Amino acid sequence: MLLIDIERLKGLSDLFLQIIKKNLTAESLLWFENKTALVKSEEKSLQLNLTFSHLPKQTGKTPIHTDAQEAKEIAELLPGFSIADWTIDRLCRIWLLMQINSSDKEAYLKKINGLFSAAEMNEEVALYAALPFYAYPEEWIARCANGIRSNIGTVLEAIMYHNPFPAYYFTEASWNQLVLKAFFTEKDMSKISGLHERVNTALADTLNDYVQERMAAHRTVAPEIYHLIELTNQKI
Amino acid sequence: MCCNENFEERNAGEKIQTTLNLNDISGMKFFDPHVHMTSRTTDDYQAMADAGIVALIEPAFWLGQPRTGVDSFTDYYSSLIGWERFRSSQFGIKHYCTIGLNSREANNERLAEQVMEILPNFIFKEGVVGIGEIGFDDQTAAEDKYYRLQLDLALQAGLPVQVHTPHRDKKKGTQRSMDIAIEQGLAPHMVIIDHNNEETVKEVLDRGFWAAFTIYPFTKMGNERMVEVVKQYGTERIMINSAADWGISDPLAIPKTAALMKQSGISLQDIEMVTYRNAITAFAQSGQIDENDFIAVKNIDQSQKFESNTILRGGQQPRVDKNSIIIS
Repeated sequence: MLLIDIERLKGLSDLFLQIIKKNLTAESLLWFENKTALVKSEEKSLQLNLTFSHLPKQTGKTPIHTDAQEAKEIAELLPGFSIADWTIDRLCRIWLLMQINSSDKEAYLKKINGLFSAAEMNEEVALYAALPFYAYPEEWIARCANGIRSNIGTVLEAIMYHNPFPAYYFTEASWNQLVLKAFFTEKDMSKISGLHERVNTALADTLNDYVQERMAAHRTVAPEIYHLIELTNQKI
Repeated sequence: MCCNENFEERNAGEKIQTTLNLNDISGMKFFDPHVHMTSRTTDDYQAMADAGIVALIEPAFWLGQPRTGVDSFTDYYSSLIGWERFRSSQFGIKHYCTIGLNSREANNERLAEQVMEILPNFIFKEGVVGIGEIGFDDQTAAEDKYYRLQLDLALQAGLPVQVHTPHRDKKKGTQRSMDIAIEQGLAPHMVIIDHNNEETVKEVLDRGFWAAFTIYPFTKMGNERMVEVVKQYGTERIMINSAADWGISDPLAIPKTAALMKQSGISLQDIEMVTYRNAITAFAQSGQIDENDFIAVKNIDQSQKFESNTILRGGQQPRVDKNSIIIS
């Protein structure tokens, strides 16, 4: 089973393009369409790498505007996913990644991994936010688990917030690491997809220890921790 | 014998606890176009933000320990556009960088060849405002070769160049650095000649290059001398930086020098030119500097509360009271 099938992926790609068209100037859109055509047709990664890096300069970085209907369609096509807080450069980057030909697995993986290996901070954010849309999802699970070890707060948020990939594909150990890391870095837990669905006793045990540790240190405890422990108790 | 006696002498003296008074320049904005934040602490970032530094450029340099493999360079360049950029944003300071192979490590030719191959992966990234710091250390043939190759790269990419001038045989090294830049076809206005002193500045300015001065105790410029340079040469194409790194150096060199300039009767407009505006003009030729980002980095990456929630976006660093003995 996949998080998202081909048909829904196509639906999201079309919807993203529709939103991009509304949010770009005619000049930027023309640049973007020309570059996308080059990226689609090339065998190597030159155009992809350059377009991916240059993109914000052409598109700007303003927050995107979506209407209620678009937001609803996105949520239906991929539950747990949202682009509500995104800027236009991020959406364009993700749409560009969705256009890469994936028929040759080895070549495809090489292209995406190449982007990861020399990624600038905001590029990294986009690359992780795109996790639900890459082909061969099983190949990205280890990459995502490693992303949770990042020190860059915005990268963590790209994996944790409104991103259904981890909850769908992570092992219990990786998932628990994500949740603990979110508490430790004081993230907004309400934005984490699958938080309530994936509670488990191992996590509840660790959270209980964490509560004790915080209290012993006279530090505050996030209310959501108690909520997760309570949810686990109801389940078992 | 090494330095033990010196330590004892240095550490035995009276330990003076004072606070730095920068009231004279309160409210001014500064841009440090050369500072190696990788080697600095979070206390430095906080002090720089408090003193008015809104943006900086971190040139790629020698880390103090020779690298033995190309992956060490990849990781270093990645950190300049990744982790260090984020770390800076946590204090509301916009972080740019220049990317290049430093002169010292150009002498390891086997490695230098490999580094030249990876440079194109980094120089087109957002916020990379030039090729740097490159130039001469010992003025060897290998340094000459990789300086020229990187000038060619800068020319192709349309990027400014940040040129490190040597400590030893400085005057001739500086002249040679400019001669070679011209030979490789660069326009002087695309080249920032760094670490100038009283002996080099005139020729650098006369030939149309940007002249940067590093305010760095003992080995480079002192800021009283800098005041005299500005009085003599004015402010056109002159900028100052701290080049603070892992040595005894000062990340507040720019605000301190601004305060000294003000006390010395230099006008606020002139101070702004050499501590902010000229560096932006020079490096904005990369097309990679937008002053609105200096404000945006504060709002987006640092302290904004969202959805009435006190969670800090991206993990802004909480302020600690350095003068309290309590650590909570």
